[in-house]
Amino acid sequence: MSIEIRAISKRFGSFVALHDVTLDIPSGELVALLGPSGCGKTTLLRIIAGMESPDSGHILFAGEEATHVHARERKVGFVFQHYALFRHMSVFENVAFGLRVKPRKLRPAEAEIRRRVSELLKLVQLDWLAERYPSQLSGGQRQRIALARALAVEPRVLLLDEPFGALDTRVRKELRRWLRRLHDEMHISSVFVTHDQEEALEVADRVVVMNQGRVEQIGSPDDVYSHPASPFVYQFLGNVNVFHSRVHGAWADIGREQAQDLPADEATAFVRPHDIEIEHRPAPGGLAATVQQVHTVGPLVRVELAYASELIEVELTRERARSLALREGQQVWFRPRELRVFAVPQSGLEEGGSGI
Amino acid sequence: MIGGPPPRRANAEPRWLRHLLIGTGLGFLALFLAIPLIAVFSEALAAGWGRYLEALVDPDAQSAIRLTLIIAISVLPMNILFGIAAAWAIARFDFPGKNLLVTLIDLPFAVSPVVVGLVFLLIFGAQGIFGPWLAANDIKVVFALPGMIIVTMFITAPFVARELIPLMQAQGREEEEAALSLGASGWQMFRRVTLPNIRWGLLYGVILANARAMGEFGAVSVVSGHIRGQTNTLPLHVEILYNEYNAIGAFASASVLALLAVVTLIAKTAVEWRIRRETRVLSESPAQERPVASASRDMGASAGSLRSNPSGEWP
Repeated sequence: MSIEIRAISKRFGSFVALHDVTLDIPSGELVALLGPSGCGKTTLLRIIAGMESPDSGHILFAGEEATHVHARERKVGFVFQHYALFRHMSVFENVAFGLRVKPRKLRPAEAEIRRRVSELLKLVQLDWLAERYPSQLSGGQRQRIALARALAVEPRVLLLDEPFGALDTRVRKELRRWLRRLHDEMHISSVFVTHDQEEALEVADRVVVMNQGRVEQIGSPDDVYSHPASPFVYQFLGNVNVFHSRVHGAWADIGREQAQDLPADEATAFVRPHDIEIEHRPAPGGLAATVQQVHTVGPLVRVELAYASELIEVELTRERARSLALREGQQVWFRPRELRVFAVPQSGLEEGGSGI
Repeated sequence: MIGGPPPRRANAEPRWLRHLLIGTGLGFLALFLAIPLIAVFSEALAAGWGRYLEALVDPDAQSAIRLTLIIAISVLPMNILFGIAAAWAIARFDFPGKNLLVTLIDLPFAVSPVVVGLVFLLIFGAQGIFGPWLAANDIKVVFALPGMIIVTMFITAPFVARELIPLMQAQGREEEEAALSLGASGWQMFRRVTLPNIRWGLLYGVILANARAMGEFGAVSVVSGHIRGQTNTLPLHVEILYNEYNAIGAFASASVLALLAVVTLIAKTAVEWRIRRETRVLSESPAQERPVASASRDMGASAGSLRSNPSGEWP
């Protein structure tokens, strides 16, 4: 089922959680709402679920007005960051809950409930835990039970609020691949909230990047990573070096085609650390800098260059680093393979060095 | 092995201090709790079991026991209702006057019970605000059962609410929201999720409120009018008998109250033990994690089978 979000705004006291958010979630897609904490992504998810009501704007489910439909009538499956399993019920009863609370006329018979629950428990591969209580399960198991419980009522939409946020790295990676495969099997429209860009890029069909209550960019994972629409998206998705044109005249020249409409002062260039080339000789468009530090981080070699008063972060492959044989204190020339120029005043963004 | 005193942990208090503290604690307990409790029973039984039972089957004593039970049974449901409502409002919603409500819930603890009795006398008494109206309609509140229930209600109001507020705040709203999103109605959510989660805290509050309702003296004394066989509760009955130098009768009735206290303590401890066990279970070691990836090859099959059954279709 498709979800349309039309000009939703929400305030909590003087804090603006959502500002005029418009968004389409096509049927059957797995969409990630990505952003830093406090950007409004969880509020948006809760508004879709009906647990929060917007101050203005509309929600449409499959083209039908759903803004004032009560949470219990929305047929939405919600998975909480901290699982929210019913602690006094066994795993089996947790999953059966949605079936047991149905109005008498619609409630399946006991045998049917048993069959459906054990099917769902098999689906999440935890049928061997049916008689346990939530407190006896690990975090990953709890989250899979929470998912089975949400699926039991055959929701039209599945909403997941930081579903892997409370798990350790190994379990998180396994679980998100598993979620992706589950989604491919079921084709149920799903929206999940995350602050982890890697998670969003790996799992989602479509990523919605949010900041300060607004949507910054919507696109495929490749799209938002390769073609960030704003300085914020550039900085939030991976490391980036930021250059001001006034200081770095030569680089602004490189980006001139992009920046030709802008006054020279306001142009700011963004370059990813892995998009910078280091040479031993001066090259056209290259800037001179001194090698400050060289670290090997897993498969990459991270080089810090001192350029004027700023630190530039460069990532090289091991082979490239070996052939360059960089030493600390050495003079080198660096130039970007790819960069992006924005005209936005850079207040609030980290300058020089790297963003998040 | 080297001789000498056994090694002492670096952060432990000196032995004499420990003994002093333990001794003081236990001594206090014996002097002010154990000895009076023994004294009550030994005084009550001073003239033998026969006289003891005689004092208890006395019609006035029977009436006092009955009245005490009636008051407790009438007060507790209202207490539970008010306690849950207040705790729910405070833990779940933000509304103007919330802080005032939190403060006011403790008022009955802060006010002397005699004052409470006098206040209700002023409201419902013959010269009180509602007095003339009540008299005109021939409704007796003060010096009758309704007045005694009202003051006891007031005195015991905080117990349940105070137990539930921190509990419900700690548990949060998520389980309730999960229940709603799964299609539960408000009542189903309350009965199947909220109530089971607060049941032990609720029981604990009810036990304390019950003990207080049965033992309350000051406030009830003011509004009761001390009509023997009609408006005397057990504590009032004890006082009257004692003032009449009927030591055995007084202590026999007092022993019923003391017994109630002991039962309350045992019940309270049992519930506390239960609450502790439930919270400990929460932190118990989880079941062995099975790697998801290893089993995920079967997933396609089970998801497929789920889809293929007619009632399990996913929109």
